[in-house]
Amino acid sequence: MTRADFLVAMLALGMLPLLYNRYWEEPVEGEDAEIMAGDDKKLKVSLNTNRRLNIEGPLGTSVLEVQDSRIRFVSSPCRGKQCIHSGWLQNTGDFAACLPNHISVTVRGNNRHYDAINF
Amino acid sequence: MQKLYHTALCVCIVLIATGCSDNESKLHQARLVAFGTLVDISTWGVDDDVAEQAVAAVESTFNKIDHTWHAWHPSDLTQIDTQLAKGEQVELDADKIAFFKKAMRLADASGELFNPAIGKLIALWGFNQDDRPQGPPPDPAAITSLLALHPSMDDLIITDTTLKSSNPAVRFDFGGYAKGYAIDQAMAVLRARGIDNAIINAGGDLRAIGVHGDRPWRIGIRHPRNPGIIASVETSGDESVFTSGTYERFFEYDGVTYHHIIDPRDGYPAKHTLSVTIIYDDAATADTAATALVVAGPELWQKTAAQMGITQVMLIDDQLTVYMTPAMAKRIHFEIDPPPKVIIGDVS
Repeated sequence: MTRADFLVAMLALGMLPLLYNRYWEEPVEGEDAEIMAGDDKKLKVSLNTNRRLNIEGPLGTSVLEVQDSRIRFVSSPCRGKQCIHSGWLQNTGDFAACLPNHISVTVRGNNRHYDAINF
Repeated sequence: MQKLYHTALCVCIVLIATGCSDNESKLHQARLVAFGTLVDISTWGVDDDVAEQAVAAVESTFNKIDHTWHAWHPSDLTQIDTQLAKGEQVELDADKIAFFKKAMRLADASGELFNPAIGKLIALWGFNQDDRPQGPPPDPAAITSLLALHPSMDDLIITDTTLKSSNPAVRFDFGGYAKGYAIDQAMAVLRARGIDNAIINAGGDLRAIGVHGDRPWRIGIRHPRNPGIIASVETSGDESVFTSGTYERFFEYDGVTYHHIIDPRDGYPAKHTLSVTIIYDDAATADTAATALVVAGPELWQKTAAQMGITQVMLIDDQLTVYMTPAMAKRIHFEIDPPPKVIIGDVS
C-alpha cells in the first residue's frame, strides 16, 4: 500500500462517523418544534431556548411560549381555544393546532423513527 | 492502476453519501388544513412536481367531501336532513347513495353501536360545533326523550336514486365514518396518479400504501393518557390504521369529564374505554369499527368486531389494560417500559 492509498483509506474511514451522524443516528427526543402558518410557511424553533413567539395568521396573532424544552399556545384569536387547552407539548409527535388561524405546532425529535402518528 | 483505484474509492464514498441523500429526497411531505383537521400527506419515490399536484388534488377531494357531508356547517347533508325531517323523498346521485348504503351496512354490522342517525343527541351534548362545548351536560329528561324516538339507519328507505326516512327524529352525524370515507377517496386520487407509496394521515387517522423505500411505513400510536407513543406498528401493503379515543374531544363540568363518543343505547358518553385502534383494509370501515368498539367496551368488543369482520383490534380500557386480538398482538410493538398488562382474546 502506498502512502496515497493509506491517505485515501483514512479519509474514507474518517467520513464514516460523519455519514453515520448525518443519516442514521436518532436525534434527541423533542429537540425542536415545527410551526406551520398557512399551508406553506414553516418555522423550525429550538426547544432549548426559552422565548415567546408571535405568529401571524388570518385571524391575527397567536402567541406561543417555549419554556424548559416545551412549547404551548398562550393566546390565539380563535373562539374555541382548543389550541390553548392542548397545554404543553414536549414529546416527539405532540402537536396542537389553531385551525381557525391556520397555525400548527409539532414537536420534532426522534419521531423520525415514525412516518406518522396515530391517535 | 493506482489512479484508478483511488478514483474508485472516492466514487464509492460519494455514492454512499448521495445514495442516502436520494433516499431523503424521495420522501415528499405536505400538510394542509382540510376537513376541520390537519391532513399530512407523505409520498415516497415520486417527483416533487407530481407529488405537489397530487397534494392539491387531495385537498380538493377533502374540501368537496367536507362541503357534501359536514354535519353542522351548511352542506348537502344538512339539506338532506331538512328534507327528510319534512317527510320528503330526496333524490341522490350514485356516490351519495353508495355513501349511505355503506354507512347502513356498517351500522347494522355494529349492532347499531355505530349509529349516525343520532345527530340530535350529538347536538344535545354540544359536540356538533367547531368550538369545545362548555357544559353543563344535557338534562337527563331531554336525553330520555330523544332515545325514546329511536332514530336509526333502519328508518331509512333507500333505492338506487332516492332516500326517505320513516322517522322524523333522524338527523345525521357521520363522525366516525366520513373521515375514513374521505381518506379512501383521497387515496384513490393518489392511486389514479400512479402513486403507490404514500400515507394520508387526517387528524391522526390514516391509510398507508406501499413502502418507504426499502422498509415499511412505521406508525407510532399515541398513548391515550400520557404524552408520547405507547406502541408502534409497521404497515403492510394497503392498510388503514384508525384510533378512536375518548381524549380527542371532551369538556369538563363540575370536575367531571364528558367525551364526544356517545353510546346510542343510553345517550351518555361511552364508559370504560380510553381508546380503540383498528387495522383494516379500507379507512371507512376502520373508522366505523374504532368508534363502535369504543362504545362496545371491554365487555362486547370481541363480539362486535366479529360481526364487523374486524380481526386486528387493540382496546385500552380506563385501567390502561390492553385487550388485543392475536392478529394485532403479532404486529404491535410496545414502546413503553414496563409494557402494559395485556389480555389476548380473539374475536368471537
